[in-house]
Amino acid sequence: MLLDGETRKVVDRFQAETSINLSSQLRLIREQYAWDHLISTGYGRQLAQKVLGGDVITEIKAYTTSAHHFHPAIDTVIDLGGQDTKALSINRNSGQLQKFEMNDKCSAGTGKFFEMMAASLGLSLDELVTEALRGSKTVEINSTCTVFAESEVISLLTSGVALADIARAIHEALLTKLVSLLSRVMRSDTSEILFVGGGAKNRAMVQLLAEALSRQVTVPEHPDFYGAYGAAIHAIQSTRQEST
Amino acid sequence: MTQLFNDDFQEFPLKRALAQVVAKREAGAKVVGAYCSYAPVEVVWAMGGVPAVLCAFSNAPIAKAEETLPVNLCPLIKSSFGFIELKTCPFFELTDAVVGETTCDGKKKMFELIQEHRPLYVMDLPQCPTNEGAVAYWRHSVNGFKKFLEGIFATTISDAALEESIRECNRKNLLVKRIFAFGACKPAVITWQEMYAVATYAMSAQGPEAIAQLEEIIATLTARQEQKLFTSKAGAKRVLITGCPVGGDVLKVLKLVDEEGAAIVGLDSCTGLKPYADVTEEGSGDPLLAIAKRYLKIPCACMTPNTGRFEVLKQQVESLKPDLVIDLVLQSCHTYNVEAVKVESCVRGELGTNYLKVVTDFSQQDLGQLKTRIAAALEMN
Repeated sequence: MLLDGETRKVVDRFQAETSINLSSQLRLIREQYAWDHLISTGYGRQLAQKVLGGDVITEIKAYTTSAHHFHPAIDTVIDLGGQDTKALSINRNSGQLQKFEMNDKCSAGTGKFFEMMAASLGLSLDELVTEALRGSKTVEINSTCTVFAESEVISLLTSGVALADIARAIHEALLTKLVSLLSRVMRSDTSEILFVGGGAKNRAMVQLLAEALSRQVTVPEHPDFYGAYGAAIHAIQSTRQEST
Repeated sequence: MTQLFNDDFQEFPLKRALAQVVAKREAGAKVVGAYCSYAPVEVVWAMGGVPAVLCAFSNAPIAKAEETLPVNLCPLIKSSFGFIELKTCPFFELTDAVVGETTCDGKKKMFELIQEHRPLYVMDLPQCPTNEGAVAYWRHSVNGFKKFLEGIFATTISDAALEESIRECNRKNLLVKRIFAFGACKPAVITWQEMYAVATYAMSAQGPEAIAQLEEIIATLTARQEQKLFTSKAGAKRVLITGCPVGGDVLKVLKLVDEEGAAIVGLDSCTGLKPYADVTEEGSGDPLLAIAKRYLKIPCACMTPNTGRFEVLKQQVESLKPDLVIDLVLQSCHTYNVEAVKVESCVRGELGTNYLKVVTDFSQQDLGQLKTRIAAALEMN
C-alpha cells in the first residue's frame, strides 16, 4: 500500500499470494516502487525489513492504527485472517490499543478453516458463502479442529444433509469462535464492531456475526488491505513526529 | 562486564547444576530427585544429601512419552517422563531416591508410572492451605518423607541437623532474594538468563561455598549498579514473567522478549524466585512443623484459594515496575490456565499494568504467532 504523505490518499496498492520465495517477491517491490518511509507488517515483516529496510510493526498495531484513523467511534475490531483471528479493544479517545485476543495456534477459527471446508465440499469460497446464505440452521459441526470438522462435513454429506445447510453449519462453527474471542474484549457499551481482514469479505459471516452479537457490524472498503493501510498511516505519522 | 559465575558453564546453567550434583555424589551424598518447589529440601540437606530438580523442559523426549502418556497432557510431565523412559535424563540417572508431591493430577499419576525405577515417596499436599488442619496434615507428609529417607538410607535425621539445615537454607534464600531484587534497577543490571542461572545454581548448592558464591554475585551486581554497567538499554520496556515453571525449550518465550529489545526484570515462577522467596522459622522447637508452615505458603496455582500469588504479584509489580506481565501457561496446565483469569484482573484492574497470557508447549510450532503477540503487547503503551 502506497499512501500520499500529504493527502493520505492511496497512490497504489497490490496484493500477491506469499510464494515459497518471499525474498524475490519483495525485491520486485523494490524495483517497481519508491517511497520515503516504509513500514512492514504481518508475518513476513522481519524478512521484508531485511530486504527492503524501514521499520516493522505488528499487524495488531497496524489494525489499531487504521481502525482508529477511519472509524474513531468504534472500539472493537475483529480481524479474520488466513492463519490468525484477532479481536482488539481500542480506546476511542486516545486510539490506543487496550487489549487483544488471538485464536489458539491451530487453524480452527481462521480463514484457513473456510478454505479447507470449501475444498472438501468441492466449492469455491464464493460458492460456499452463497450456499450458506441459502441454508438454514438444521445441523451442527461440533468439532473446532479443521481436520476433524472435515470428516464431520463428509459424514453430513453422506447422510444426505442439504449442501446449503452444511455450508451454514460451517459458518456457524466459525461464528462461535469469533463470538468467543470478541466477548473477551467487547465492552458492554460497544454498539458497533469493525470487521476486517480477508474474512470480512464473506457476506454470510458478516450477517451472522451481526445477528449473534446484536450489534452493527461494519466492513470497510477493502478490508483485506486494512493492515497495510495501518502500516502506511503509521509510516506517515512517524515521519511527521520525526520532523517536528 | 563481569560474569556472575566465574566458571566454564556460562550459558549452561543446567550443566553447572549437574556438575554440582555429581561432585556432591562423589563426596558420598545421596541424590534425591524432586519435581517441585514443595519438596522440603531442608530434610534432604539435613541428611547430608543433595536435591536435584527433575522437571524437564525439552521437546526431544516428548514423542517417546506420548507412546505411553496421553498427548493432551502438560509438556513438563511428558518431557520428564520421556527422559526417564529413554534413560537420558542425567539428573534422574544420578538419583538414589525421588520425592513427588500431589500438586497436579498429571504429575501424581505419572509418579505411579515411574516408581519401579527408583525408591519413590509421594507427599500428599493439602490444597486448601488455609483450612483448619492443613498445616498439621502437611507436617505428617514432611515427617513421612523424613522417615522414608531414614528408612532407605539407614540413617537418622536429627532435629539438630534439621535446624542447622533450616538456618543454611534461610541464609541462602535471603541471598537469592537479594539477587532477584536487583531486577528493580532501571535500566537493568541483571538479565533473565542470569536470574535463571542463580535460581538453578541455588537448588543444588548449600553451605559456606554457596553463601560465598551468592555474596560474590551480589558484589558483582552492586559493582554493575555503581559503575552504571547496564544489561538493557535505557527506556527498554520491562517485563515480569509469572505462571508455570520455565526452562529449556519454553525459554523461547523469554528469548522472543529479548528479540523485541525489552528487558525481563523478574522471574516469578518456580524456576525463578518462588522457591527462595520465604524463610523457615528457626529454633521453633518443632523443625518439621516450621518446614510444613513455610512450604505450605508457596503460592502455586494448585492451591485454592491461592491468595499468596496475588500478594507476591503486587509486591513484584511495585518493586520491579514492569510495563508488561507475561503469564506463561504450559499447555494443559488447568490450574494456571484458569487462575490466569484472576491474575489478569489483578494485574490489569488493580495494578494498572499491561498483561499478556501465553499458552504454549515445548515445540517451536507457535513461534510466529508468539512473536506477533509479544511484540504487539510491547507496542502498547
